[in-house]
Amino acid sequence: MALLEIKNLQKSFGDLKVLKDVNMSIEEGEVLVIIGPSGSGKSTFLRCLNLLETPSGGEILYDGKDILKPKFAVREYRQQVGMCFQRFNLFPFMTVLNNVTYGPIHLLKMPKEQAQAEAMALLEKVGMAAKANVYPDTLSGGQQQRVAIARSLAMHPKMMLFDEPTSALDPELVGEVLCTMKELADDGMTMAVVTHEMTFAEDVADRVIFMDGGVVVEDDTPDEIFSNPKNPRTKAFLSRILDR
Amino acid sequence: MRTLQNLNFPKAMAELLPKLFGQALEIVLIVSVVAFVLAILFGFLFALGRLSHHKILNGILVVFQEFIRGTPLLVQLVYIYYVFPLFVEIIAYWCGNPTFKCTLSATVAGVIGLTINYGTYISEVIRSAILAIDKGQTEAALALGFSKRQAMFRIVIPQAFRNSIPVFGNYLLTLVKDTSLMAYITAPELLQTTKAYISQTFTTIESYSILAVVYLVICLILSGLLKVAERKLVRRR
Ligand SMILES: Nc1ncnc2c1ncn2[C@@H]1O[C@H](COP(=O)(O)OP(=O)(O)OP(=O)(O)O)[C@@H](O)[C@H]1O
Ligand SMILES: [Mg+2]
Repeated sequence: MALLEIKNLQKSFGDLKVLKDVNMSIEEGEVLVIIGPSGSGKSTFLRCLNLLETPSGGEILYDGKDILKPKFAVREYRQQVGMCFQRFNLFPFMTVLNNVTYGPIHLLKMPKEQAQAEAMALLEKVGMAAKANVYPDTLSGGQQQRVAIARSLAMHPKMMLFDEPTSALDPELVGEVLCTMKELADDGMTMAVVTHEMTFAEDVADRVIFMDGGVVVEDDTPDEIFSNPKNPRTKAFLSRILDR
Repeated sequence: MRTLQNLNFPKAMAELLPKLFGQALEIVLIVSVVAFVLAILFGFLFALGRLSHHKILNGILVVFQEFIRGTPLLVQLVYIYYVFPLFVEIIAYWCGNPTFKCTLSATVAGVIGLTINYGTYISEVIRSAILAIDKGQTEAALALGFSKRQAMFRIVIPQAFRNSIPVFGNYLLTLVKDTSLMAYITAPELLQTTKAYISQTFTTIESYSILAVVYLVICLILSGLLKVAERKLVRRR
């Protein structure tokens, strides 16, 4: 059974139909990369997955349970599905370490010492242990994003969502974040990543989804998508974006 | 007609300053501190009410706000001190207690008036500070698994308060100066004490000059203290 199964997902903002009919699934341990032109609904889709947006229709099954049912425990679900944002959104009034321990201490009721030990291990992993006691505003964008990844991981998520985690970064800082994400993928984390970094998609993704106009246009392995796209819209998008 | 030669500042200072730095200053400081703390509390609750999606509550608060902003603080103080007790007595009369006497001490009336007036203005500061916090902060907290309420109280409000501290400081300064309006409701604060002294000695020029300098010194000291406090409380960003 897929970890996440999405059926006929729809989302409208007023009259604007952003997601028209999205069907797809994510297997446990899979790395899914979502590509598509600006405005195609990628962020909206990802935000629906952890209910930052409330879908207008359809089903999202997590471990077989419909997360859109009124009685579904949304907060527990969100604890299991981490999210990293384009603009990091670290808490500016807390040190790096406290950013990472905040969730575990207050939500998982983890003892402070344990939370700090785990946080330090995670910061070590993303290469930020040396900055544990500084405030986020003293860090570069790439460093902030790596801390944000550690903050999400501290909740022991089963799955991670990334919405263009590198597009707010200076070009020379993109690599360090992608590298951290690749390590995460190698550790077996289930990931759904919206990105314009095609090399990352080619190297790390198990599957690539091309979205356009609120629907999944093509859903295939990276090899197929990049070397043998079937849909003309995918071809057009890729030839534009890979024109380097 | 008095001439400049017969101004006697040393004498006026010797007599007036002890009065000012006694009970009068005490009233100003106590009223200022109490009203300021209560005003922030009042403003905070008011802001939460305005931010709630409760339509009726919102309507009431907006009308209240218009009343406070559309009338002078002096009129509000006079109203609370002179009129409010009369209403209480009328209500007591209706309830079958015709001999009930209600009086409010001038200081208490002052604290109430300043709290409501400043609280109303401060509520707008807090409300806009809360609204100015990046939505990404709330979303990050929600994505971790916090509830909306937790995101608000643990993540958004602490930042909004920190950002408001400099403005709070400015309000404290004006509040201290506005305690002088309590002279009109008989509170023996600095202005009232000075007026009383003048009526006995006719030292108008000396006494009011001394009063002005006393206020200036209080405010200079206070703004110095505020700068230090600000540096301690507001973290760099
Ligand atoms: N909260 C909202 N209210 C109204 N319209 C919205 C809202 N969020 C997104 N939209 C609209 O939905 C459409 C899809 O937006 P979305 O952010 O999902 O696209 P995207 O694929 O992530 O684009 P990009 O690559 O630029 O990030 C856009 O037309 C956008 O204007
Ligand atoms: Mg987007």
